[in-house]
Amino acid sequence: MNRSKHICLSLHCSLHGRYHELAPHLVPMDYTNDPDVKVPLALIVNMPELKENPFRNRIVESFSEDGQGNLSFNDFVDMFSVLSEMAPRELKAIYAFKIYDFNVDNYICKEDLEKTLNRLTKEELTPEEVVLVCEKAIEEADLDGDNKLSFADFENMISRAPDFLSTFHIRI
Amino acid sequence: MSVFPQPGTSLGNQGPTAYELQQVVEKNTSELVSELANLSDRARIQAIRSLPMSYDDRRRIRSRAISVKTSKNIFNIDCTQHVSRSFRRIGASVASARQWLVVWHGTLKEIGGRFGTSVLSYFLFLKWLLKFNVFSLIINFCFITIPQIVHAPNISNVTGFRGLELLTGVGYFNQSVLFYGGYNGEVIVSEPPYNMQLAYFFTIAAYLVLCGVSLIYSMSRSFQKNFVLESGPVSGGAWRLLCSWDFSVVNEKAIQNNKNNLGTQLKESLSERLQMKHTMSVSERMKYLSLHVLAWLLSLGLAVGSCAGIYFLGIDQLETSKLDHNTNDLTVEASTLLLPVVVSLINLIVPLLYSLISIMERYSNPRAKIYIGITRNVVLKMSILGILCYYWLNSVPQKMACWESFVGQSVYRLLMIDFIFCLFGTFFGEFLRNVIGTRCVPSLGVPEFDIARNVLDLIYAQTLAWIGIYFSPLLPVMQVIKLFIIFYVKKFSLSMNCQPPKHTGRAAQMQTVFIALLFFPSFVGALSMVAYTVWSLKPSNYCGPFQGLQTPFDTILSWTVYIQNLPGTHWVWWIFENMLRNELFYYLVTLIIFVITYFLWQITQGRKELIRTLRQQIVNEGKDKAFLLNRLQNTQKQGRQKESFRNQEFDQTPHFNPNWINTLPLDM
Repeated sequence: MNRSKHICLSLHCSLHGRYHELAPHLVPMDYTNDPDVKVPLALIVNMPELKENPFRNRIVESFSEDGQGNLSFNDFVDMFSVLSEMAPRELKAIYAFKIYDFNVDNYICKEDLEKTLNRLTKEELTPEEVVLVCEKAIEEADLDGDNKLSFADFENMISRAPDFLSTFHIRI
Repeated sequence: MSVFPQPGTSLGNQGPTAYELQQVVEKNTSELVSELANLSDRARIQAIRSLPMSYDDRRRIRSRAISVKTSKNIFNIDCTQHVSRSFRRIGASVASARQWLVVWHGTLKEIGGRFGTSVLSYFLFLKWLLKFNVFSLIINFCFITIPQIVHAPNISNVTGFRGLELLTGVGYFNQSVLFYGGYNGEVIVSEPPYNMQLAYFFTIAAYLVLCGVSLIYSMSRSFQKNFVLESGPVSGGAWRLLCSWDFSVVNEKAIQNNKNNLGTQLKESLSERLQMKHTMSVSERMKYLSLHVLAWLLSLGLAVGSCAGIYFLGIDQLETSKLDHNTNDLTVEASTLLLPVVVSLINLIVPLLYSLISIMERYSNPRAKIYIGITRNVVLKMSILGILCYYWLNSVPQKMACWESFVGQSVYRLLMIDFIFCLFGTFFGEFLRNVIGTRCVPSLGVPEFDIARNVLDLIYAQTLAWIGIYFSPLLPVMQVIKLFIIFYVKKFSLSMNCQPPKHTGRAAQMQTVFIALLFFPSFVGALSMVAYTVWSLKPSNYCGPFQGLQTPFDTILSWTVYIQNLPGTHWVWWIFENMLRNELFYYLVTLIIFVITYFLWQITQGRKELIRTLRQQIVNEGKDKAFLLNRLQNTQKQGRQKESFRNQEFDQTPHFNPNWINTLPLDM
């Protein structure tokens, strides 16, 4: 069965343990009947690996089927397998793009960048500086001149940042 | 929600209807399924794994692909599929069993969570070096030491065990299997006969070859992953904003630190952009250039001076000490520790001097400063090792009876003292510096964990271990114990005393540089030293497995003569004589490699050109899109204007403007 993706079987079992821990009354230990159980967003973002991450809500939302952050076990495994060390760069780039795309319109526009920046720096920069940084970022990365970053622009930028593979990584 | 990337509907309200969307999705899915059905099993699994879909969608596509494939194969090749599936299962279970052997998994996760990926890379490097040493230990122990211990107890313990042996390696350890002198090269009479000389030679050679292959493989993998197509400053806001955030950090304080760092760096890059880039005048440039030249002269002078000092100290020791194996004098033994202590002091102090020197220089970007610092340190360390090798291979063999053991003991002493200095360095460098930085002089602050210096120390120690392997087959024991202890000491010191480095750009490139340094001066140097010893030096006459021969390589020659006479192994002799010992073969191989390299280089140039043209094409497409949007909006606007005009006139007939071409915008 194609269950283990970029993580191996023993880790898969320990992931099931972690998933069960999140909501013991909701998640059955026995998955042979493939029950349709989804753990809500609020419980998942309390995991120690995600608790302090500034993008925790967006990460969980990007991997959920309904876009609201309710993950079934398969989505949970998907999430950690894409965020593991061995996932290929293209897959990571696709999901990173989804995470940074706050308004889910398949483009990273200026508002998305401003939201990202606010999550990453809080009160360090003044509003004018925020606008300036976002404009400069779009100017640098936008290839086709439509003032927002499409997936191709984003992927082009990723190819010039080899660290991305190791920083876009959550250990479990 | 469609799972295939859809082009954005930027043409306003003219998006496709729901039914059309569904048709498109269904067509894409069936194309994907037929593509997948044509792949082999293994390739299909890989392709399905890398689809950006949810698990249920992927499972559906997989079952469709398999049903298409089995419906195509009327003659079901069930047997091979079954065999390949069971092989895959075995492979998967071996991989999962390997997971249990992963040592330090929890500790590494904790370090990565608190300090980020760049500090974690130091610990991963240490773990990787540990693997080399454990492998060497196992094969040396199995193939060389155990036969020697079991069959040929030819050692004479001269002195009892005193504590000093652990540091100096002489005395009790002198004729033991720890060093070269403890082995003799007899043929162990068993069924089949086990030739100790050949075993010694081949074990060491096989280990070094495997190390080399593994290093080349890691280096090329790392280079391939981290090679950046376009050079140029990637220090802009876009990269920093979107690609540099470290997701693996989970500690709250560390995340707050990272946020502050990011904010500071963004502010810095903004202010750099706002102020004019001031061009330096000619006199200023000359001044900075002369400062650079002066700094380089000073650094090289320091390196040369240290090497000369070490060489003359060594010669002096050789003259005066006359360390014979029968001496009982503790002070004479302790004086052999003088050279290693001097070497370690130089390795400690001179890099500090280098960092002081670099304060007076001015660099165009901070990364240049790091790389130049690394270059100077590498030059220093490798020249020290070089002069030591020269001393060991040129001066020692004439003066000592069992000179290989002496060299092995010297390497042992160097490693031990280096280890002790490393522990002291951690204590003084990090703990005291932390105390000074937080209590006495608060402006200094908490020390940063200096990754470059620590990694270079690891590379230096590993070079010594590789040099020493021929002269002391059990040296990896010491190296393994040392690496274990250093891991825990550094981890402890890190959590108590240090903070993560502030500038973490391009950590992946630094990784590649470190692996390349481990290969190029370090491994290649050690290999050439061992190769020179085996090929050209006369082994000592009274000890060791190669006693009595002209060079250790003669065992191979005599072995090839032996197998020439055996029936059935003539081809081994033929390969050895006509390929490995034939210069023409190497010339041909080199020529072919040059030609292939030239072809590949031309292909790379062509691809770079292609990338440039494609980029230009993307820009042009963007301009085309903008132009078409503009025209569409103008036409719509005119349509609406005509509507309102017509409504005012109560004219029902459609009004066709024959001059519609003049309504095109002028700025085409």
